[in-house]
Amino acid sequence: MPMHIGEKDFKKRVTKGLEDDFMRGAVRSAQGRLQDKRATAADELGDWEDWRTLGSEIRSHTIEHLDYYLHQLSEKVAELGGHVFFAETGEEANEYIQKVATEKEAKKIAKSKSMVTEEISMNEALEAIGCEVIETDLGEYILQIDDHDPPSHIVAPALHKNKEQIRDVFHEKLDYLKSEKPEELALFAREKLREEFLSADLGITGCNFAVAESGSFALVTNEGNARMVSALPKTQITVMGMERIVPGWEELDIVVSLLTRAAVGQKLTSYITALTGPKQLEEADGPEEFHLVIVDNGRSKILGTEFQEALHCIRCAACINVCPVYRHVGGHAYGSIYPGPIGAVLSPLLSDYDEYKELPYASSLCGACTEVCPVKIPLHEQLIMHRRKIVEDEKKSTLSERVVMRGFEQLVNSANLYRTATKMAPFLTTPFAKNQLITKGPGPLKHWTHARDFPQPANERFRDWFENRQKRGEKNA
Amino acid sequence: MPKGNIINRDSFLTNIREKIGGIAADKPVEKPSWSVKPQKKVLEGYDQDQLISVLREQCKEIHTDFYQTTLAELTGTITEVMEEYESESIVYSDDPRFDNANIEEYLQGLNAFKWDRNDRENSIKVAERAEVGITFSDITLAESGTVVLLNDKGQGRSVSLLPANYIAIIPKTSIVKRMTQATDYIHAKVEKGEDIASCINFITGPSNSADIEMNLVVGVHGPIRAAYIVVDDL
Amino acid sequence: MKISFFVTCLGDMFYVNAGKAAVELLEHLGCEVDFPKAQTCCGQPAYNSGYHKETLEVAKHLVETFEDAEYVVGISGSCVYMIHEYVHLFEEGSEWQKRASKLKDKTYELTQFIVDVLDVEDVGASYEGVATYHTSCHMTRLLGVTEAPFRLLENVKGLQMIDLPNRHDCCGFGGTFSVKMSDISEQMVDEKVEHIEETKANLLLGADGSCLMNIGGRLSRNGSSVEVKHIAEILNSRGDL
Repeated sequence: MPMHIGEKDFKKRVTKGLEDDFMRGAVRSAQGRLQDKRATAADELGDWEDWRTLGSEIRSHTIEHLDYYLHQLSEKVAELGGHVFFAETGEEANEYIQKVATEKEAKKIAKSKSMVTEEISMNEALEAIGCEVIETDLGEYILQIDDHDPPSHIVAPALHKNKEQIRDVFHEKLDYLKSEKPEELALFAREKLREEFLSADLGITGCNFAVAESGSFALVTNEGNARMVSALPKTQITVMGMERIVPGWEELDIVVSLLTRAAVGQKLTSYITALTGPKQLEEADGPEEFHLVIVDNGRSKILGTEFQEALHCIRCAACINVCPVYRHVGGHAYGSIYPGPIGAVLSPLLSDYDEYKELPYASSLCGACTEVCPVKIPLHEQLIMHRRKIVEDEKKSTLSERVVMRGFEQLVNSANLYRTATKMAPFLTTPFAKNQLITKGPGPLKHWTHARDFPQPANERFRDWFENRQKRGEKNA
Repeated sequence: MPKGNIINRDSFLTNIREKIGGIAADKPVEKPSWSVKPQKKVLEGYDQDQLISVLREQCKEIHTDFYQTTLAELTGTITEVMEEYESESIVYSDDPRFDNANIEEYLQGLNAFKWDRNDRENSIKVAERAEVGITFSDITLAESGTVVLLNDKGQGRSVSLLPANYIAIIPKTSIVKRMTQATDYIHAKVEKGEDIASCINFITGPSNSADIEMNLVVGVHGPIRAAYIVVDDL
Repeated sequence: MKISFFVTCLGDMFYVNAGKAAVELLEHLGCEVDFPKAQTCCGQPAYNSGYHKETLEVAKHLVETFEDAEYVVGISGSCVYMIHEYVHLFEEGSEWQKRASKLKDKTYELTQFIVDVLDVEDVGASYEGVATYHTSCHMTRLLGVTEAPFRLLENVKGLQMIDLPNRHDCCGFGGTFSVKMSDISEQMVDEKVEHIEETKANLLLGADGSCLMNIGGRLSRNGSSVEVKHIAEILNSRGDL
């Protein structure tokens, strides 16, 4: 699955989302639960703001010295006998992974959840050389079975589906005959996937955090699929976005504590698995061969720019879970595997403004995302910075908008002009108004008045009232 | 183990360095001292018995059965859990602590298999069919209800993973406040240049998923039920 | 205490009663209020749309307009926050930045000023009604004023306050967002209106004209009987009960 998903046209994607009542119902209830769980977990922990501060300091420091920590990480991994491949592009990463799969004569590949492999279309690359790739995260598995339906959320990829839909997919594709109860659906997937784990030739995992000081990788899951993938197949490949690293174990504690609380409101998820190199002698299970693929794929373009903080993201999706725009349009409307506020910030950076120029505007700038981000990324400010770039550097705003904004500047910079304009406003709008309400507005007001009335400007402005009152000597002459 | 290959590193890191104006990668970077340390304040001042209470409460949150016992009663408690889980077959790790706690003999009297560090295929096969997996906890985190397995050679990654039920034997002395104490311990080993286990598992209850409508389902790929047995005199 | 009143464009043109009430209220609380006539818009529409060069000029104009004031008090959390934001617009260490910073330190939102500066929580108001209060995003999240309006409203005699479910959710205004992404904005305001109706309150209060214009516009279109008022209008009511 490439980064871009679905229909090309943004407006069409939004309309599709808004019309999908099933999806909106599912997203609305999921958001409600996740918001409550996150808030409770943060309260229980206490000192939440201190935790955020610490998380933010750790992420800033790490990204500011990313070259050093990646060097240290790769040295450690190699010392332990693992192989490290640095991939500047998705293609380079895929070629390397294909080469390993070919050398190992891998037919079946079990994979745990990984956004970066989605981003670089790794599954397609492996399928192209005849491998069968099995997604083992329950949500990802459901989507894969459903003819590769794209993920709509970075933590809960099948969030847009309800249990009846999942039952039908299982029935249609896998002859599932039981009910839509989540327990029965999950048990069915457990049995199906157990066979796959045991017979896989190659395991591929993503990486929540690499630990530079020891060459370790932390995988954070609830289901245990990443443990399966890293215990059973004889060869393991871990693919990581290059920013997903912390200096040492002390910092791992903090980012994991923030991640599990912010993502799902748990103190820790069921499994945090820290892998360090291939299996050692006299260890029966675990991979005999280990490969690490570190992926840039556009990330380095962000370094040193005003968007660098976007690389601090720990992929918890807290911003997605509080976003009111996401709630109404759903993940697919963003047209990117990274939806929601972080997706609106990241997607244009990893790709370009031609593909994603609407996303920075798909926000009311309410700041809910910034407020919950566990590592304090100023998400809504980054969206404003995108808008600035689109206007000032890319010059991609519409001519009419530029004319309006120039006019606005002149208007509000001149006290006289402003006074005149505000005085004229009620008379200019009178033809459109009825009982002091505009129900069918001209120009840009047309969109507003589609569902809302707009007030007619008052005949006596506040400033007139104040002046008249002073003249009458009522107060403060 | 011979050193692994590193491919394309120089150009990759040079590019990064140019963008961030970083220093040469081989010069050590000093970690700053962080302005706050909230992790040190969690459960500050709690003694071992208070930590056990925290652990017991947390077990309710993580759908884990909690038992507290003594060395003398340990076999009885294990039997109780086995009956509760309607299970007979066991796989347990190759760990001298079973013998030290005098339960190896008891286990051998049951339908129990000791993980064989030299036989991958068979060990995995047996673990996959066993109804219960048993390991000792190396470090136990009270706050989150987590057992930490510093998988030593004979532990077996699969013992705590493949069977439908999991029992962790928790020495009272292994209980610490939270993840911070475990990561401090591991960090200290790394600092001293000691090897750390190739697979360290932080296990918090049975496996679960909320991928279907955010409804929690307990027991997905890993164990469906989990029991913690705290042993007071271990 | 001398206050230079910042009415905001919506307050000047549409919500005249809110401005009048705020002035009378501040005077009632013993303040002396003036109105610098050169004031215009805070520049937020341009800023949020990415027109930062244009915003810079607006910012300079407002800094010049208000910098001699003892205190500046505005009736919109969002616009007051925009004035606070000027500091980040100007070049680091520049003279303009220093002037903006001084202005920031003396510029307050109305309820924030009453509670934090005047140290008053009971303004002696009375108003018969059942109300719910919309917390606007910029005022709470960015300006950080969360409690002041509630403190003041709690002490209004005769007024029964009902919690608004999901009150932290945005109403969908978002400036140009409401026009550019009007279909999404409509869904957001609809959800807000649903929650308001759930409360059975007959009065919706808020401290930001823009949110009130948005929600009020939808209520009005739906033919709802819920009345919409700026918090200043209630705090300045002192009728007999």
